[in-house]
Amino acid sequence: MKNRNWLFLLLGLLLAISLVACSTGGDNSSQEDTEEEEGNTDTDTVTEEEKILRISSTSDIPTMDPIMTEDNVSTQWIDTVYEGLYRQAPGGEIVSGIAKMEETEVSEDGLTYTFHLRDDAKWANGDPVTAQDFVYGWQRAVNPDNGSFYGNYLMSGKIKNAAQIFAGELAPEELGVSAPDEHTFVVELEVPVPYFDSYVINANFLPAHQEFVEAQGDNFSLSPESILANGPYKMTSWKAENGWELVKNEEYWDAENVALDGISVKVLKEADTRLSNYETGNLDRVTLSGSQVKDNQTSPEFQSLNEASTFYMKMNQESAEKSEYMQNYNFRMALSKAFDKQAYIDVVYGNDSTPVNYFVPAEFVEHPETGEDFQTGSDLLAFDKEAAQEYWAKAKEELGFEEVTLSFLSGDTDVAKDISEIMKTELEKNLEGLTIETVNVPWAQQLDLMRTKEYELAVSGWVPDYKDAISFIDIFVTGGENNDVGYSNEEYDALVKSAKNELALDPVARFEALQEAEKILLEDAAIAPILQRKTSVLAKNYVKGLDQLNPFSNNYSFKYVDIEK
Amino acid sequence: MAKYLIQRLIYMIITLFIIITATFFLMKIMPGSPFNNLGGKITEEQQALLEEKYGLDDPVPVQYFKYLTGIVRGDFGVSFQYENRPVTDMLLERIGPSAELGAQALIIGAVLGIILGMIAAIKHNTWIDYTSNIVAVIGISIPSFVFAGLLQYYLAVKWRLFPVSFWESPIHTVLPTIALMIFPMAICARFMRTEMLEVLGSDYIELARAKGVSNGSIMFKHALRNALIPVITVLGPMTVSLMTGTLVIEQIFAVPGIGEQFVSSINTNDYPVIMGTTILFAVLFVVVILIVDLLYGLIDPRIRITGGGKD
Repeated sequence: MKNRNWLFLLLGLLLAISLVACSTGGDNSSQEDTEEEEGNTDTDTVTEEEKILRISSTSDIPTMDPIMTEDNVSTQWIDTVYEGLYRQAPGGEIVSGIAKMEETEVSEDGLTYTFHLRDDAKWANGDPVTAQDFVYGWQRAVNPDNGSFYGNYLMSGKIKNAAQIFAGELAPEELGVSAPDEHTFVVELEVPVPYFDSYVINANFLPAHQEFVEAQGDNFSLSPESILANGPYKMTSWKAENGWELVKNEEYWDAENVALDGISVKVLKEADTRLSNYETGNLDRVTLSGSQVKDNQTSPEFQSLNEASTFYMKMNQESAEKSEYMQNYNFRMALSKAFDKQAYIDVVYGNDSTPVNYFVPAEFVEHPETGEDFQTGSDLLAFDKEAAQEYWAKAKEELGFEEVTLSFLSGDTDVAKDISEIMKTELEKNLEGLTIETVNVPWAQQLDLMRTKEYELAVSGWVPDYKDAISFIDIFVTGGENNDVGYSNEEYDALVKSAKNELALDPVARFEALQEAEKILLEDAAIAPILQRKTSVLAKNYVKGLDQLNPFSNNYSFKYVDIEK
Repeated sequence: MAKYLIQRLIYMIITLFIIITATFFLMKIMPGSPFNNLGGKITEEQQALLEEKYGLDDPVPVQYFKYLTGIVRGDFGVSFQYENRPVTDMLLERIGPSAELGAQALIIGAVLGIILGMIAAIKHNTWIDYTSNIVAVIGISIPSFVFAGLLQYYLAVKWRLFPVSFWESPIHTVLPTIALMIFPMAICARFMRTEMLEVLGSDYIELARAKGVSNGSIMFKHALRNALIPVITVLGPMTVSLMTGTLVIEQIFAVPGIGEQFVSSINTNDYPVIMGTTILFAVLFVVVILIVDLLYGLIDPRIRITGGGKD
């Protein structure tokens, strides 16, 4: 009998302890509790009054400071709370933002842009958004003390004096931007930038409220209170690794055209947890990964969105050990045509990404006059086992080898291992005497090996920074910073150079020059294109305006999203 | 006792110093830099500028000294990955959910495990014993993320009894706690049963019975106290591993804990965060070991902390 009493006592104690544990949790997060209740009522009472979009993110926001962004998530949410000169409509069309697009004046030499700002644009605290805010924002981005990655990458060599300022030779005030009056913003360029409209979408070109930024000091952008919005939404809460909430910014000049009342984002790193939350109605939309794509492909809520990014196999001609092989045209042609691109997609993504034989993505840039797509397609580097074997035989003859071992560099994640496995299988199967040695190491180490050129093959992808083919083509000029395959072709270099200089103001000739450059790149088998990627999602049918990906910068344009139940 | 404590504290500081030094220099050997996750869009000059900004261009001994003096002031630097965020704030923000989840799982798991083990020992070789044994073996051999997946699928997705994930109210903590408590529960049950059987067969229990001491008094005054010692030994390290976050459970249930942060900071070469987390874990570990040693003495006077020999 006594025995049992003790048990009850223990159980009681246990209960008490767990209650205390729970209630302290509750105290710590009393704010969270109320928010959670609000969240519940949203789902229960079918958002008649409140339209809150509930989505997930695979990571927390690394930074909300516009000039520090270097990743998708930051870029996305910075775009959602701020507005620059222009913004992207869903699908990538550039539309007026703080500047009225139809009033923008470009000088004849293409070197001076004069933007006319709307006079009703306000910051969330009620202050007007002025041309001076842009001047300050741009100077901030290029000030070397602030250490912006993209500020320098984008501005140097384009905006007047940017490179010298970043190098510390000139003061940030010397940047070629000025504000003749409150609503006129003038930009001076060093060279014409034909894609200027999409170029200024980048977060580094956002305005900044000088008084606010300076008052916040080191805390700027670390919490919702230290962010001053001027865009469609403002952030109301942001809990590390947990999620963040945004509400419609009533001070936004175009607030009447913002349909949602708010957006609630949860950080969910596990793909299965994301899907479970969607299935139980906690999320309105979810991005699928891996086998989830196949399992859900027949769902009426399934969507596949085209991305403006292509993936390709790099064939390193500057390889420390095998450069002789890698520089041989027939050798590279054989490698380029010897693997099944569809098999690669099936293994690595399992979705309907498109196998491609080109470099510049389709549905990305259009002909300035006819509106035709830049990408006309090519089958030069298409998968063709027999042709590959012919090239391989010729290469063997020219180089005089029977067997060769090449290293294939890839990451240490599951996807990266899939990539090296499928490439090894395909290439070894179709090219006799070839051995692929797979090297799976962490990203940082990969970059080290790439720097020291100790690899022959690797798969890489490119996401553009603005809407122009040169964002891709520029990579492979001789000695280019990102040309890590050692490709060099004079004709190619000349075409890129002319596109940047004398053809800059001749859109049609420039467009054709870039098309020609891509053709040369493929004819030389500088790279082996693999696919143009797609993103697969599940979305409730009441979510409107989220069915297209933007080609660059922010993936989605939440200003235009609506919930129609 | 006071002398012992002071001695232990000095040892603790020495241990921490060694850990900090070793981690610091090991990290300098790690390949790559925190600034090369940018897909190649950063130039050499920019890299140099950034290294200067974060003091990475100083000679390593200078960096080391600066870091040590920072720690003394409670300053762990700022994160590279999460622009400008002080590491101290990041750790404090993240340790809360991990510690809460870990503590809940540990307390419930340990208490249930002890009860289960005791009952099994008392009802030795009956179906109760066998059942509890099977439960314990399952709990030890099946990893917690399998339970997590099953719990999430059935209790949350299928039957909608609990939230699928997130960390917002006590009800949200139920599923991760259950998933996490099964292992400590199983371990405790196993140890408790074995020890209890041994103790119950010992001479002094026989003597107590012969003297006519009541059954309950034997169990709780004599047997339980002695049987607890090995259990406490395993509970020490387990406390640390549970409270410092369990990556997989945290990811499955979207708990904003510290386990996940540790892994991601390593992947991105975020030195200050790796260092801060390592030091935090180390401090927790040495403190828990100290507590365990002190607890021994409380539970079993035979283990004398002043004796010096036993540690």
